[in-house]
Amino acid sequence: MNYIKKLTKAREASSLLFLIALFIIVGCINTNFLAPSSIAACFNDSVVFTLLAVGMAFAIFIGEIDVSVGANLGFTASVVGSLLRDGHNWLFCFSVGILIGAVIGLINGWGVAVLNIPSLIFTLGTNGVLRGLIYVYTDGAWVENLPASFTAFASKPLIGDLTIFYTVAIISVIVIHILLTRTKKGKYFIAVGDNVNGALLVGIPTTQTKIIAYILCGIFAAVASILYASRIGFITAIAGNGYEMKAIAACVIGGISLSGGLGSVIGASIGAVIMSSVSRILVFMGFSSDYDNTITGVMLITIVVLDALMQRHAAERIRRERLRARAAGASGDKGGESHE
Amino acid sequence: MNKLKKNFLNWEAFLLGILVMEFIVFGAKNPKFLMPRVLLASVNDFIAICFIALFVTFVMITGGIDIQAASIVGLTSIIIGVGWQDGGMNIWTAALLAIVAAAICGALSGFFIAYCGVQAMVVTLGGSFLYAGFALLVSNISATEAYQGISGFPDDFKIISKYKLFDVIPSQLLAFGILIVLAYILLHKTKYGRSIFLVGINQEAAEYSGINTRLVILSTYVLSAVSAALAGIMLTSYLGTAKSDLGANLTLNIITAVVLGGTLSTGGKGSVIGTALASLVIGILRFGLPLCFKVNTQYLDIPVGILLLVVVIGRSIISRPETAALFQKLKKES
Amino acid sequence: MKMKKVMSLVLALSMALSLTACGGSGEQAAAPAAEPEAAAPAESEAAPAEDDAAAPAETEAAAEATGADVSGKTVVFIPKVTGNAFFEAANDGAQKYAADWGITVDYQGSATAGVADQVQVINQAVASGADAICISTVDAAGVRDALLEAQEAGLAVCTWDSDAQSDARALMVSQGTPEILGQMLVDMSVDALEKRGVDPKNDEVQYVWHYSQATVTDQNSWQVAGEAIIAKDYPNWKKVADNYYSNQDAEQAVSTGAAILDAYPDIDLIICNDSTALPGQLKAAQNKGITKDDMTITGFATPMAIKEYCDAGVLYEWGLWDCGIQGALGCYLAAYMAAGNEVKVGDKISVPGIGDCEVMANDCLTEGDTTADTNNGVVLLPERVVFDESNVNDYNF
Repeated sequence: MNYIKKLTKAREASSLLFLIALFIIVGCINTNFLAPSSIAACFNDSVVFTLLAVGMAFAIFIGEIDVSVGANLGFTASVVGSLLRDGHNWLFCFSVGILIGAVIGLINGWGVAVLNIPSLIFTLGTNGVLRGLIYVYTDGAWVENLPASFTAFASKPLIGDLTIFYTVAIISVIVIHILLTRTKKGKYFIAVGDNVNGALLVGIPTTQTKIIAYILCGIFAAVASILYASRIGFITAIAGNGYEMKAIAACVIGGISLSGGLGSVIGASIGAVIMSSVSRILVFMGFSSDYDNTITGVMLITIVVLDALMQRHAAERIRRERLRARAAGASGDKGGESHE
Repeated sequence: MNKLKKNFLNWEAFLLGILVMEFIVFGAKNPKFLMPRVLLASVNDFIAICFIALFVTFVMITGGIDIQAASIVGLTSIIIGVGWQDGGMNIWTAALLAIVAAAICGALSGFFIAYCGVQAMVVTLGGSFLYAGFALLVSNISATEAYQGISGFPDDFKIISKYKLFDVIPSQLLAFGILIVLAYILLHKTKYGRSIFLVGINQEAAEYSGINTRLVILSTYVLSAVSAALAGIMLTSYLGTAKSDLGANLTLNIITAVVLGGTLSTGGKGSVIGTALASLVIGILRFGLPLCFKVNTQYLDIPVGILLLVVVIGRSIISRPETAALFQKLKKES
Repeated sequence: MKMKKVMSLVLALSMALSLTACGGSGEQAAAPAAEPEAAAPAESEAAPAEDDAAAPAETEAAAEATGADVSGKTVVFIPKVTGNAFFEAANDGAQKYAADWGITVDYQGSATAGVADQVQVINQAVASGADAICISTVDAAGVRDALLEAQEAGLAVCTWDSDAQSDARALMVSQGTPEILGQMLVDMSVDALEKRGVDPKNDEVQYVWHYSQATVTDQNSWQVAGEAIIAKDYPNWKKVADNYYSNQDAEQAVSTGAAILDAYPDIDLIICNDSTALPGQLKAAQNKGITKDDMTITGFATPMAIKEYCDAGVLYEWGLWDCGIQGALGCYLAAYMAAGNEVKVGDKISVPGIGDCEVMANDCLTEGDTTADTNNGVVLLPERVVFDESNVNDYNF
């Protein structure tokens, strides 16, 4: 048990190390990058991806995936944005957005958990439908001229240079992390992803857990879409295109295993900062944008490969440990693990 | 094993049924749809998806995923263009060079996935950035600006996409046919194909049974990259222009074709015929809906998404009575 | 009457041609036509013949009698990409006028600006039996074959906004050459710099470009042209970095925009010739509390998208052209050609509700370009507009 805990910790720690190393390297090339306001901007700009990645983390914890979050963000942002533009009550607009996100999550969860459809296929399907619905809803037009009072929110600082959005987001992430690691129900997600049958045997409602994971994923995407609308001030028909992949990458960089049952939301949020800082880093490093894709690719691959190599040794040991435990004890051991 | 086989056949028969139904519905609505000239020409526009999906199937059977193939299409295209125009190469030498370069790209990602144990989705996501970036850098070598595209290829290069057998069947379809046969034999009739399935079902067990699982995994990424290169050659010839961003948005369509074809995203299961049929089903749907039902092209993601959902939901409900029962029970409870 | 006889002869010939086209491959059908340019008018008249066996004879005769009856024609209106404010505004304009003219404008595009996707849309237009295509091309060379095939199949092809190769289309409705638009970007920059007390002739102006991608044709051609003008007229300006791209991703436009502002705090001018990059860059500036008197941001975008930043005092001016008129005009001319009208360089076409427009030779866009004897040329419209707080409320796109 201690091993697993240590491993999780090490995974977050290594992604944090990557982040720090990255910042220092860029800072050596251009010292302006290390100015407090600039560092704060890295975090502030990551708020949308942080929320997407944390939502995605739930789907990945249970051993599934959700590639519809980008379309979810785009669609919800279009709806919320147009409602806000038309002068509706903010609370109403946000509730509608979150409701849409939750319903999308519920549908995904239903397909994956109840119908047992592979999550990649199912969410690809909802992704397509949502992408199309954006065009149906907006007729392809942009949602523009959101209320200035709403968009001004995005740049209001709370602590130092950190915006309200990011501060609240990161506090929520910490709270969620505590809930996930300290409460019984919070541990269900990891348990389900780690070993579905084991979880079922010890009485965890796996179907329910999976559905809830997807609903949470949808809600996070919806909240992200509201912040997106506020940050950007206009919503294009292709808003959120490809963000699902960035969110998944953020999770993996943050040490979450795509096979489920391993990782933390803290890691996901660190990964999100790394992913979203790339374009900023490139500007500060003075690279021509022609190198954007190349360097993003090299960075992404380097990070995951290094991380994999670093974790490999530890993982092998853990695996052997677990195999031994499994061979020695009955399934009750697994239950003990899940409940801890 | 027999049962598994039967299951495949059912699924393929089902896809074939959908395909036939598409022909009937579209044909009844607008007879022009069935004109060989119209119908066969439409294949040109989604042939890249068909090519690549066939071999991404291999990747997904091993339990991996390949989202970089689309960027290799552009890389191939620009290598051909720059090699031919600026490198003074023979067009075929340039095409060969492009295939080799694609294979190297595939091998690089495959190496990280197979030998370093990194998650395929992230490596190939990184690869998709990296190879698209390479493509742009290659195009910067050229005297032609990246945004202009290199054109003016010799006629004998264009012939590979313009040739028509008996004046009707376009070369793209012929090439697709050949690739299907090749992929089918490779996956379903050879030892190599069996090892791909074994790796997907249980890599450790496969390793113990003497298969070099890492090499097998790596090889699937090389294959999918080479198929992307072939698609890139075909597209370059068809469009008559070499650009670094060709094929940039094929990724989701490719994955959709593969999973609709019955390949499990968790690995161990899949078929070439299923993928081939699924890519045709999607391609024909995207072609037929605007033609016969005046569906605006920008809404096409919806029917494709719905098709995917209906098919998988329907399949799940029909094939698993216990799931249906569970659903009923849940309904009652709530 | 004699004219009508000639007409029917041409018609019969072209019907025969199109029948061969139905039976065999498209390429074969083209073979008998020795000179493609001379064959062009006949083929565009063949368009209805292929769609419908009986009706065209009457339609054609009627068209000739009244000079230019466009009503009843279907024009497939193809943007570079759907879901972009510019193209949506053009479509709105086209749809509005189309109702008055009695033509059907069928807006068909791909949500991703890829040349292969656009070729698919063209092929679909041909298969659907439309009369004409009006297209803003993603890549001129890449759509060439598809457009030639469309013409062989009898469709009239016009372009707008972004041209095809001049022998692959009939008329082009152009907002101007890359040089004109590059000049416009530089002029707006100079004007806005002067307004905030910078002397563009002598001061060292630090500037940078921020737009969508290295592979997009038009934006890059404007940038290259603008860069050449700056090098010639304002050698004192200093480009601090290579171009920045935000891939039409609004989030990336804002964060790249913020990064530019942070990395180059002394920057004087950012030129955003992309309709996503401009609002994104302005948003980033607004977040930092930068106003139009601190630094200059300008570029191309629709007035509605930038209005709020103009109102908030983040920029002085930006530009575009009336894309609604442009789209409508393109569709009208496409329908006009499909109706069998013949135009020559120097002809004036009167467009109901918009006005007269003159057909000019192709070399007014690209030097040294040749123009076919008939049915080939350029219409230089619409006028480009510089928006600022005084006129932004006059526009609704």
